[in-house]
Amino acid sequence: MTTEPPAAAVPPPSFAIVKRRLSFFGLTLDECIQVFFGGNAFVAVVVLALITYFLFREGSQFFGQNRQNLTVYRQAGLEYVDFMRRQEQAHTALTRGLFELRMRAVVDLTERQKLSLADANQRLAGFDDYAGRFDDAIGPLRGMVADLTEVATAIKTKFTINEDKMEERQQLLEAGRVAESEAVKVEAVDFERELAPILGTKEAYLEINRALKAEFATLLQRMPPAPTPALQVEVERFKVKVQAYLDTFPSIEANLAAWDYRRPVPLWKAFSAYLFGRQWLTASFWQDWYGVVPLFVGSLMVSAVALFLAIPLGVGAAVYVNQIASAREQRFIKPCIEFISAFPSVVLGFFGIAVLGEALRSMSQVTWLQWLPGFPIAERLNALTAGCLLGLIAIPTIFTLAEDALQNVPRSFKEASYALGATRLQTITRIVVPAGLSGIISAVLLGLGRVIGETMVVLLCAGNRIAIPDFTEGLGAFVQPVHTMTGIVAQEMGEVVRGGIHYRALFVVGIFLFFLSLGINFLAQKIVRRYRISVG
Amino acid sequence: MSTPVSHPFQAKPSLSRTFESGVFWLFRSAAYLVLACGAFVFADIVIKGAPAVFKTSFPFVNTVFLTEAPESLCVFDYEGQKREMGDREFRAFREQEAARAAAEGRKAPEIKATSFVYSAGGIFPCIVGTVLLVVGSMTIALTLGVASAIYLSEYARQGPVVAFIRLAILNLAGVPSIVFGLFGMGMFVIFLEWNVSLLAGWFTLAFMVLPVVITASEESLKSVPKGFREGSLALGATKWQTIRKAVLPYALPGILTSSILGVARVAGETAPIMFTAAYVVRDKLPWQDLQSAGDFFFQGVMALPYHIYVVSSKIPQNEYTERVQYGTAFVFLFIVALIAASSIVLRTKLRGRYKW
Amino acid sequence: MDSPTKSLRSVSHHPASPDGKSTAAVAPTLIDIENLDFHYGATQALHGISLKVPDRQVTAFIGPSGCGKSTLLRCLNRMNDLIDGTRIGAGSIKIRGVDIYQRDVDVIELRKRVGMVFQKSNPFPKSIYENITYGLRLQGVKDKGRLDEVVEKSLRGAALWDEVKDRLHASGLGLSGGQQQRLCIARTIAVEPEIILMDEPCSALDPIATAKVEELIHELKLKYTIVIVTHNMQQAARCSDKTAFFYLGKLVEFAATRTIFMNPENPQTEAYVSGRFG
Repeated sequence: MTTEPPAAAVPPPSFAIVKRRLSFFGLTLDECIQVFFGGNAFVAVVVLALITYFLFREGSQFFGQNRQNLTVYRQAGLEYVDFMRRQEQAHTALTRGLFELRMRAVVDLTERQKLSLADANQRLAGFDDYAGRFDDAIGPLRGMVADLTEVATAIKTKFTINEDKMEERQQLLEAGRVAESEAVKVEAVDFERELAPILGTKEAYLEINRALKAEFATLLQRMPPAPTPALQVEVERFKVKVQAYLDTFPSIEANLAAWDYRRPVPLWKAFSAYLFGRQWLTASFWQDWYGVVPLFVGSLMVSAVALFLAIPLGVGAAVYVNQIASAREQRFIKPCIEFISAFPSVVLGFFGIAVLGEALRSMSQVTWLQWLPGFPIAERLNALTAGCLLGLIAIPTIFTLAEDALQNVPRSFKEASYALGATRLQTITRIVVPAGLSGIISAVLLGLGRVIGETMVVLLCAGNRIAIPDFTEGLGAFVQPVHTMTGIVAQEMGEVVRGGIHYRALFVVGIFLFFLSLGINFLAQKIVRRYRISVG
Repeated sequence: MSTPVSHPFQAKPSLSRTFESGVFWLFRSAAYLVLACGAFVFADIVIKGAPAVFKTSFPFVNTVFLTEAPESLCVFDYEGQKREMGDREFRAFREQEAARAAAEGRKAPEIKATSFVYSAGGIFPCIVGTVLLVVGSMTIALTLGVASAIYLSEYARQGPVVAFIRLAILNLAGVPSIVFGLFGMGMFVIFLEWNVSLLAGWFTLAFMVLPVVITASEESLKSVPKGFREGSLALGATKWQTIRKAVLPYALPGILTSSILGVARVAGETAPIMFTAAYVVRDKLPWQDLQSAGDFFFQGVMALPYHIYVVSSKIPQNEYTERVQYGTAFVFLFIVALIAASSIVLRTKLRGRYKW
Repeated sequence: MDSPTKSLRSVSHHPASPDGKSTAAVAPTLIDIENLDFHYGATQALHGISLKVPDRQVTAFIGPSGCGKSTLLRCLNRMNDLIDGTRIGAGSIKIRGVDIYQRDVDVIELRKRVGMVFQKSNPFPKSIYENITYGLRLQGVKDKGRLDEVVEKSLRGAALWDEVKDRLHASGLGLSGGQQQRLCIARTIAVEPEIILMDEPCSALDPIATAKVEELIHELKLKYTIVIVTHNMQQAARCSDKTAFFYLGKLVEFAATRTIFMNPENPQTEAYVSGRFG
């Protein structure tokens, strides 16, 4: 050492680490940059908040409007008429049952007993008489419903015109054109007077009902015997149905008697009519219904088909690629499946229309597949067609996430298992898959979220019939056309009046979808988090 | 039948072994079935769509289909011959025939044609519209997304705020695309009165793809080794200098390649643009007849995915529609597939190249 | 003593210490750590450390893993600020009398003056030239001549010049592990710090590369104050002037290296340096 520092150095001021930097609003340049990036980071939060806000901004007034809609339904007497209409429709359904019975009888007589068609008709003449009389019985009620429908529609139209005029006047007033606004004549609808012709039919209705009851009582007893024992069972079943139908009469009468147009519609009705309403009926001359159930059921059915296909295939492929496949296969399969995820959904939807729908239908006509429920398929586009394509959309999501989950299972688990003499299959089923299970479950949930939110495929391929499928056909319900929540928004949003009740109803469907997806996401994250703790 | 050496570790065929390989085959078939389904869809579109896009004679590409606007197809019988031509061509033909007839002193022939919408011409405006939508929305999404990712990976400290932001990003990723469409309509089209416009479509798509971009960017930023940051800071660099000089340059390739997947998603979505940016048909190209530069942003465009939707479900189906349906689907799938494939390939390459 | 105001940086001739003790004993204090407590979230990593690091000497921190020696080192240029949830509980660190944790201290300025070399060499994936000029360019130096000069000086200072002078524009990642580490040292020297902190700089190197780096440390201490954390006790013995032994977040013993290795006061120190635990 040649150098010898001074023994007692006084610290010179040269260690200048205190420095004032350029500052804006008390922030240095670096802090400003940080604030800028921080601001950007909140974009995701802001977007979420904006989505919520604008969905509610457009959608929240729906419930008020729906309440108004239901109020008019009551005040104009539509509700009253609908009590009767339902009675009539139930009868129509019974008649249809009778005709189906006849169809089966004809098939039975011609194919089993080898009768000619004329002979078969001969044998069924008595039955036909009976069916005719059964159908005729409802005549008076049908006539009354038709008359009253006209009256009620007229009241409703009057009311609607009035509303329009009131709005016109309001607008003129706002525009400062007082004189013109007074020229717009508004006649308040006197519901009491208008409803009089409807309510005046009460006695006549009761009369009709009494006649109906008597007629059905006789008809029940004179039901002709069926040509075969198997059909006789059906006949007995039919009788029970008719009896049940008769038993509903008193409650209908009670409903009519208790009906009062002045009873207000509570607000919760507007909600429940939406959430539990079984009809989505718009632009109808009679009454619009906004019930989300058929759409929700449609979405669920399509998703069920999709997951039914995607879970085994997606998870199976993930297990194969992660645990069984050779490195070369892995390098090939993984990008290919990722590539499938890039298929635009509208192209898949088009494929469904152009190829898959028809292919499924012709497959359903193959004789040896007839044991499958719902086969042969009547409609080319249905829940099954859409579900199959959605499955293809969900598979890459489920595959990628499930494969990640399996990848995250520590190697040591596997090695320990092998070291104890387990086979590969045992290791996979008892160690790897259980350890990755919550990851796999959350993958499936995210796949579900993807499927429920998918629009184009269901819009193009689900058949777009707004009705709850007939679940009495069991699994056959899945080959019926359905409509979905996403599909209805895409289909109808272009054609509705902005600010109208229909428009707002579609936004409420959007709100429903939004929170559904948030819920699914939340659940998936919850499961993943638990999984992290259990392994880490 | 001799067992030459018998030792306890000898492999013996057993029921469980057969069972195991059976189960493995089941898994294998699951994987390959998925691939087969994907391949089948792809092949169907390519095989049936290629005739609309390619032709057997020079220049082998159907330039009309790729460079012209859609028009109605007119089918008519003329002089005992069945002819098909596009609407404009048909008008010219009719006038020409009328002129010829007049020259020959005959009465102008009456030509009755049946027309089929969108079945002739091409899809050029749709390609242009899609490209515009993708470029604009990705610009917005990359700006916001990369900045957001920089904050999350470089600046933010673990805490409730960051946890909340991450939660928001995760949830945003799960929001259905049709809900984005509704939101875009409610906010941009109606509230901000942008109407159906490019701008509304850009923002809607950008917000939709934001989570993809943020996640991809953050991953790329995280994969830059910590040593670079420490090394830079220890040399007296400020945080921003460190990010700009020692982090971003190495993360950028990763950010871009991963974001290409976002591009594929933006290009492929239909639902968000249905009410915000897409027109069923528009005669003018986006740069024609603009009153001012601002008008460019406030016009709707045609887009490939929406066009597919329109031609496959909104117009009457007949023997002539298939060409345009499959042709459009083919071009669209080809573009999206090209984007996605390049992203996947680039990512694999990148993974190999950058090993610090 | 003749020129107390003279910059400490200049290597000048000083009169021999009156009492003739070893250089270590009389060297003026550069870094003064007083009663330092340091926390990682809920756990306390350092307990009441007091230590005076002498100017232009090599001070080694030794101790078993997790004893807090690296933590203390990273406190000296506030690299710990980058880790979430860390904080100084009590005490202070003063460099030339300036408390580096006081509020108006600019961390960037501090780090320019207190450089650091890391356990794992971390050259940027740029050329050797750019690696070295990185710090200067950040400060806005653009003059090519000046940069060239600094590159040569720093590389010579890090004993790397002869090995790389023909490929200054090749990637820094193409160098061997030992060369990379010396490149990192050169990069640190280029910004002319006063103190160089080394966090186990040789732990990833083979013995030959280690020897070169140690040699370098010997030369560097003429100009710089060096604090080195090491696992390797021979290394501490070979190249440091003073040694601090840490155990479980506490400073057990701090003395001249010779004393620590030959004649430690504390039995724990003796047990550790003689290899009986750790």
